[in-house]
Amino acid sequence: MPVLTVNNLAKKYGSLVALAGVDLTIEAGQVFGLLGPNASGKTTLLALLLDVLHPSGGSFAWFDGRENEHARKRIGGLLETPNFYPYLNADQNLSIVASVKRVPDPPLDALLELVQLKERRRSAFRTYSLGMKQRLALAACLIGDPDVLILDEPTNGLDPEGMVEVRRIIQKIAAQGKTIILASHMLDEVEKICSHVAIIKKGKLLAVGAVGSILSDQPTVEAGAADIEKLFQILSETPLVKKITRHDKLLILELEPGRHPTEVNRLAFEHGVTLDHLVIKRQSLETEFLEITRR
Amino acid sequence: MNPMHFLTLEWRKYSPSGTFRVIAALYFISFALILFLARQLSQNMTIDVNGAATLAPLSGIFTYPHNWELLANIGSWMNMFLLGFLGVLIITIEFSNRTLRQSVIFGMTRLELAVSKLVWALALALAATGFYLLLGFIEEILDRAGLGLPPVGSVLGFFAQALGYLLLGNLVGLLIRKTPLAELAYLAYVAFLEPVGRWIFYYTVARTPLLLYLPNTVFGALTPRPVLELEKQIRQSIVESGAATAPLSHSEVGLAALAYLLLFGALFCRRIVKSDL
Repeated sequence: MPVLTVNNLAKKYGSLVALAGVDLTIEAGQVFGLLGPNASGKTTLLALLLDVLHPSGGSFAWFDGRENEHARKRIGGLLETPNFYPYLNADQNLSIVASVKRVPDPPLDALLELVQLKERRRSAFRTYSLGMKQRLALAACLIGDPDVLILDEPTNGLDPEGMVEVRRIIQKIAAQGKTIILASHMLDEVEKICSHVAIIKKGKLLAVGAVGSILSDQPTVEAGAADIEKLFQILSETPLVKKITRHDKLLILELEPGRHPTEVNRLAFEHGVTLDHLVIKRQSLETEFLEITRR
Repeated sequence: MNPMHFLTLEWRKYSPSGTFRVIAALYFISFALILFLARQLSQNMTIDVNGAATLAPLSGIFTYPHNWELLANIGSWMNMFLLGFLGVLIITIEFSNRTLRQSVIFGMTRLELAVSKLVWALALALAATGFYLLLGFIEEILDRAGLGLPPVGSVLGFFAQALGYLLLGNLVGLLIRKTPLAELAYLAYVAFLEPVGRWIFYYTVARTPLLLYLPNTVFGALTPRPVLELEKQIRQSIVESGAATAPLSHSEVGLAALAYLLLFGALFCRRIVKSDL
């Protein structure tokens, strides 16, 4: 069942096109990544979906459009930075969020426990580190037990430890079956957390699908032998290899989907060539991403 | 839309804010202090004429019902500056913390957001009016002249004025969004642009009574200073000479103020509903 349907959604600022007609469908239970470089339109898209910005064209419908007017009460959202009153503490800020969401008795203890802020609950928000602020924002998003979470760069600016912590919390939430829409410019983050991904650049959607189908997990292989010419000839003629390029005294192989690097070794051996170099290299996500965004 | 829900929500947001508390305290303290000073002046100020007679020119200004008019007039300065600043701050604090957009993200409709702010402005104006009444009764008790109920016109005028400046501040805050700039713009408008610009326009462009319908002039006219008979005669001769226009009547001021309150409220709602946050 679709949680969100987006039709030709656009946002312009004068002549500047921030979002150029995006179409998208997100199903319930998906952890959906919006991947794109900085200023690609990710935040604009999320801000439109959260009614913070008004669209210049197109439309979207939450929950099949049945409850569009009150849909945002079923959504927890974090856009760009954690936004709270700096002079209030965690308890006071979360109580205000609960009041806004009209949740009469929010489980603040459990939420603060989940995001590990129980000990600092009485400290003013302005005294928090960025990681703590992000975690408080996650707790705020969870008030009212929303069906959908929208998180915009939730690990932005965090140190590695903070990133791991926030990702762990997101994965914990995702395990509860909630739909999560996560914008990020960090490829490994999307790969680690998301089930589906949309790649966006300059306001245009370039690719949408399951993470495995968009960001290929097929490795590349470096192969070398004393008789490099013969090895090149063997590998050029086999259906095992999709693409082959020469690099100094090595061959860089891109295998066909489902094929394994050990097959390269076996094939060479069967043809009397002994490999003196065989390195399996996973194609970097950066390379994949750059390939898609250059198309 | 439950007004009490919005009122509680806004109270929880602003009451712990240091800036809010300081401005509110300044309002109450300066209002009371100026009243105290005015009373001291009215009782102790004397003028020697030719070294013989002693006049106390302000001795009658705290007699009923002028005491209520004078008190409202004293409060009008606090309304214009401090309540106006508070009106600006209520909005800009939300923009600087990005909590206005966060409230929308968390499920408030834009109209609810606007109504919530209007309810808060209404509550602050009521609180200011309540303090005005409290000070008035205290002054009457201290004066031992017996309690006289405040004239309805003075109370309504004070309330409308307080609300008017708060809404004007809200609008300026909404348009400019950055606290220092918005406060400066508000101050420039109420203290300089309109009062000075009005006279410049009057003397150089057109001597029209329409200038008396400018918002700050209308709000100021809601709490007029009690005028002595001699001053009335002087004003009349100035009007007759064409150097100034006749002031608006009470009903004209009241209607114009009501129109501004409705206009500012509507513009505020429209801006929040229509603009990107």
